[in-house]
Amino acid sequence: MSAVAVRPPRALSKRGSLRGGASGGWKQIAVNQAFLLPALFVFVFLFVVPLVQTFYWSLTDFTGYSPEANFVGLENYTKILQDPSMLAGLGFTLLFAVGTTVLITVLAIPLTVQLNKVFFGRNFVRSVWFFPAIPSMAILGLVWRYVLSPLESGVLNSVLARFGVEPIGWLSVDSLARLSVIVVGVWAATGWHAVLYTAYLQSIPGEYYEVAKIDGASPRQQFFGITLPLLTPAVVISTFLLMTGGLKVFDLPYTLTNGGPGFATYTITQSIIVSGVGQGRYGLASALAVMFTVAVGILSFSQLALTRYIERRFVWPGRCGAASC
Amino acid sequence: MSKRPLLAGAALAAALAMTLSACGGSDGGGDADGTTTITFLSWTGEEQMTPVLDAFGEAHPEVKVEVSYSPPVAEYIQTLQTQVLSGTAPDVFLIAAENKTNLIDGEHVVDLSGEDFVKNVEPFNLETYGRDGAYYGLSLSSWAAGYAYNMDLLAEVGYDSVPETWDEFLEMCQKLKDAGITPFLESVDQMPTTVSAMIGAKSSEMDPSLDDLIFSGESTFEEQWTPVLEEYNRLYTEGLVSSDVVGLDGDMVRDEFAAGRVAMFNAGPWNIAAIEEAAPDLNWTYAMIPGLEDGKPFVAGAASPGYAINSASDEAHQAAAKVFLGWLASPEGVEIAQKQTNDVTVTSDFDPPVDPIFEPMVESIRSGQLYLPMISWQRSEDVLNVEAVAQIQRMIQGQITPEQVAQALDTKLAAS
Repeated sequence: MSAVAVRPPRALSKRGSLRGGASGGWKQIAVNQAFLLPALFVFVFLFVVPLVQTFYWSLTDFTGYSPEANFVGLENYTKILQDPSMLAGLGFTLLFAVGTTVLITVLAIPLTVQLNKVFFGRNFVRSVWFFPAIPSMAILGLVWRYVLSPLESGVLNSVLARFGVEPIGWLSVDSLARLSVIVVGVWAATGWHAVLYTAYLQSIPGEYYEVAKIDGASPRQQFFGITLPLLTPAVVISTFLLMTGGLKVFDLPYTLTNGGPGFATYTITQSIIVSGVGQGRYGLASALAVMFTVAVGILSFSQLALTRYIERRFVWPGRCGAASC
Repeated sequence: MSKRPLLAGAALAAALAMTLSACGGSDGGGDADGTTTITFLSWTGEEQMTPVLDAFGEAHPEVKVEVSYSPPVAEYIQTLQTQVLSGTAPDVFLIAAENKTNLIDGEHVVDLSGEDFVKNVEPFNLETYGRDGAYYGLSLSSWAAGYAYNMDLLAEVGYDSVPETWDEFLEMCQKLKDAGITPFLESVDQMPTTVSAMIGAKSSEMDPSLDDLIFSGESTFEEQWTPVLEEYNRLYTEGLVSSDVVGLDGDMVRDEFAAGRVAMFNAGPWNIAAIEEAAPDLNWTYAMIPGLEDGKPFVAGAASPGYAINSASDEAHQAAAKVFLGWLASPEGVEIAQKQTNDVTVTSDFDPPVDPIFEPMVESIRSGQLYLPMISWQRSEDVLNVEAVAQIQRMIQGQITPEQVAQALDTKLAAS
C-alpha cells in the first residue's frame, strides 16, 4: 500500500477541521444545511403552522364560515371532557389501537415463520394474505357490513344457520360490534405486517438455525431463542405503525358500523370530522384534535421507548437491524 | 371579545386566497361582450345539470353560467364552507339543512323574499330556508318518506293497506308475526322515519310549533318527545321488531323487502328504482305513517336544498344570478330539471309526473305537510341529530328509556 493511498488529501483534511478559522468548513456546513431547507419548509408549513393554528382555534368559537372567532378560553376543552360521546370515542379508539396492535403482532409473526418455509404455492399463499391490504379500508368496511349483517340473510349468519346456529347480532350488540371492527381491522392488516416481518426474517442467517439444530434445539426453542429476538427491530416498526394507525382510525368503523350502535364504535377521528366539518364547530373539533395529538404523542413515545428497551435487551450485538442502527 | 384567528401562516393563506379569488367571477361587472358570467356550485351531478344549463343558456344568452360540481352532502358542505371562508364562494350555491344556520347567521346569502320568482313556490319550501320573513333559498322540490308495503303479505293477514292509527298498525304487525312473516324493519342509522313523522304530526297541530316551544325555552324535548318515543318504542318492547335494526342500513332493509322477506319498511322515492329492478313482479306501494291518538297519518320529509345567491357578489352578478333563479323557478325550467331528477316539484304552475306507486305521498309533498327534525330545528341541527340517532339506537337496545333519550337531547341543546 503506497503512502499516497493512506494519506488524506490535504484540502479535505483542512476543510474537515472546524478549528483554526477554517472558513471553508463553515461554508460546507452551510451548504449541507441548505439541503435541509425544503424539508424544513414542508415541516413548518404543513405541520407546525397548522398545529399552532389548530391550538389557537381550540380557544375560540370558530365556525369555519367566517374569519371572525371569539376567544372562549378553555370552554371547548371543558365541553369535550363532559361529553359522553367524545369520551366513548376516546375509549373505543384506544381499545381498537391496542387490540389491533397486540392481535396483529401475535398473529403476524407466526404467520411469517410459516410463510417463510418452502412449500408448493408459497408465493400464492403470501399474495392471498397480503391481498386485504390492497383495497381501501372504506371498501372493506362496506363489504364486511354485508358479511356481518345481523339479519338471518347475512352472509355469516347464513353459513352459521346451516349448523343450526341462530342469527347473531354482529353489528347490533355493543360488544360484538366492537369485536367485529377489531377483527376486520386485524384481518385486513395482518398480511401486510407479515410481509414486513418476512423481510426481516429473511435477513437472519441460516447458520444460526443449523447451529441450533446441531445443539438439539427444538423448533419452539429456535423460535423463542433466535427468530423472535432477531425480529425485535421489526416489532418496533410494526407496532409503532399499528399504534399510530389505530389511534387515527376512521374509515373502517365509519363504513362498517358508522360509530354505532349508540356510540359503541365511535372514534376520536370521526368525532373530529363530524364536529368540525359536519357541525361547523371548528373550535371544539380543534380542541379535540389538540388533546388527541398530545395523547397520541405520549402513547407513541411511550411505546417507542418500551419497544426500544426490549430491543436493546434482545438484539444480538453482532447484528444491526434497520430500526436500531 | 372578537379577534381574528391567529394566522401564523397568514402570508400563505393570503396568497392562496388572492390567487383563488382571481379565479372567481365576482369582482367585476359584466363581460366585454355585454354578457355577465356567474359562477355556480352545483349539488346535482353534471349529467343531470348540463341539459338544464344548456336550456338556460338558450333562454338567456346574456347570462353565462360557469358551473362546478361537488357531490352532496358532506363534500359539498365542506367545499362551499372553504370557499365562503376564503372569499371565493360562487355567485349561486345550494343552501341545505347542514349549512343553513351558518350561512344565514354569517349573512352570506341574499334575501329573496321580494323577488317575483318566489311567488309560485310552496311557502313551506321557502320558509324552510328562511328566517323572520326572509327567504334565503329557492327550494323547488321536496321529498317524503313513509312506509312501503308488500300488498300480498298484508293480504295474507286480512289487510289491504297500512292502517291509519298506530294501535291498529301494531295489531297488524302482531298478526303478521303470528303468521310467520317479519312485519316491519326500519333502519335507524339515521333519524327513524317513524319518529320524524310522528313528531311532525304532533307539531302540525300546535301553534306555536313544537320546535318553537323547545327552542324558545318554553318547553323541552323531554316534555314533547317522550310520549312519541314511548309509542315508537313499543315496536321493540312488544317484540314486534328485532332490535337488530340498529345494525342495519337502508339498503339492507330495502333488499329484505325486495326479496319478500319483510312486509313493510321505511322508504322514500329513492327506493323505487332499486326495488323495481330487483323485484319487478313485487306487488307493493307506499303508505303514510300511521298517526297517534288522533289518527292523523303523516310523512317524514323536507324541502330539497334551495338555490341561494352569494351576498358577497357585486350587484351585476347578483342581478344575473336572480335571472338564473327566476328561470329555474319558471315552468320551463322546472319541467326540464324535473325530467332530469324525477323530483316532486312544488311550484304552483307545473304538475310533475310521478310514479303511480309513489302517488299516496304526493299530496303531502305538494302541500308541505312534511317534517324532518334536523331541518326544522332552529340551531345545532347536526349536533342534535347525531345525538338523537345514537340515543334512539340505545333505546332500541333497551339500554335507556325514551325519557332518557329526550333528556339527552335537552342536555345537548343546552351545551351547544
